[in-house]
Amino acid sequence: MDALLIDPVLARACGSALAVILLLGAWQKLRDMAVFEAAVELYRLLPDRMVPLFARALPMLEAAAGAALLLESTRGIGLVLALVVLGISTGGVLINLLRGHTDIDCGCGGADGNTRLSWALPVRNAVLMLLAVAGAQAGLARPLVWVDFITVAGGTLALLGIYAAGNQLLANHPRLMQLRNGS
Amino acid sequence: MNEALMISNALLWVAVLAALIGLFALARQIGVLYERVAPMGALMIDTGPKVGEPAPSFELPTLTGNARVRIGGAADKSTLLFFLSPTCPVCKKLLPILRSVNETERSWLRVVLASDGEQPEHLAFYEKADLKPFPYLLSQDLGIGFHVGKLPYAVLMDEQGRITAKGLVNSREQLESLFTAKELGVASVQDFIDHQHDHQRA
Repeated sequence: MDALLIDPVLARACGSALAVILLLGAWQKLRDMAVFEAAVELYRLLPDRMVPLFARALPMLEAAAGAALLLESTRGIGLVLALVVLGISTGGVLINLLRGHTDIDCGCGGADGNTRLSWALPVRNAVLMLLAVAGAQAGLARPLVWVDFITVAGGTLALLGIYAAGNQLLANHPRLMQLRNGS
Repeated sequence: MNEALMISNALLWVAVLAALIGLFALARQIGVLYERVAPMGALMIDTGPKVGEPAPSFELPTLTGNARVRIGGAADKSTLLFFLSPTCPVCKKLLPILRSVNETERSWLRVVLASDGEQPEHLAFYEKADLKPFPYLLSQDLGIGFHVGKLPYAVLMDEQGRITAKGLVNSREQLESLFTAKELGVASVQDFIDHQHDHQRA
């Protein structure tokens, strides 16, 4: 398992998948700032004056983390930034889960921005943090051949596909529950 | 041997990615199905009163309880019924736009907000978002009557209480397209142009 974890192909696939996830997440939030601001406000964690500032700073940080993870020289900073961004958002979700304030939009993009808060979100973010840690490793020094690049590309796309499908299922779940309880 | 492995590897990648795209597409389709089947918790299919038909009639007290609002039937102005929820970020984004619409289109339009749920939560939202210029209705029947599935949703009714446009509203453009739909329903092109000039002057 250890040998598998530090293979550079695996590290690069995890790192680039997470970088794309972060960059897309940041873009989604910055594109529709008013919506993200409202989502931050609904978390009821920050005083009203802080909300616009936070709603701008977080996606910026997210984008910086994504970009830094892509480059070899800044990978270490990328890891720290990614863990900070994921830690802050997971913390916000956890506090609201613990106080039972779950019927709000997670503001985390995902599928159509319709995802409600649930325990699946911290689990998802924990997996993303693992991806960040794996992606920041330099990996075993071994000569890379061209097949490795196909594996990195394929692995990155596969991780993104799994993430997108998982997000959609996460967004579907409350509707399924509603349907079950309603009938 | 090596070549065979490489070909099998490439083939498997194609298969894995295709399967994942399929999985994602299925998950999306299931999401759409859930949405269609369960608008606001009640089991129904997305039909609802059609554009051109008279709107269902309601007479409901406002959230603050100091007035009653009639929906449907003849009125002296057109009505924009806007369904929203305090927990919907897109609805919040549209509030300033609704406020300006309420001001500039005052001569012919009345904007009514509607939602359902617990009163205290809505009262807090009403205070905080400063929604005093709008009548605010709290009624599950209203959402069911108009078959509202997804928020924010808007229904535009003319003075006779007929539905002239309705739909999901995610942006200013979509809100304005409701008015355009109403304007296009005007008797003649000349009427339509005059109407537009009126708007620009307003």
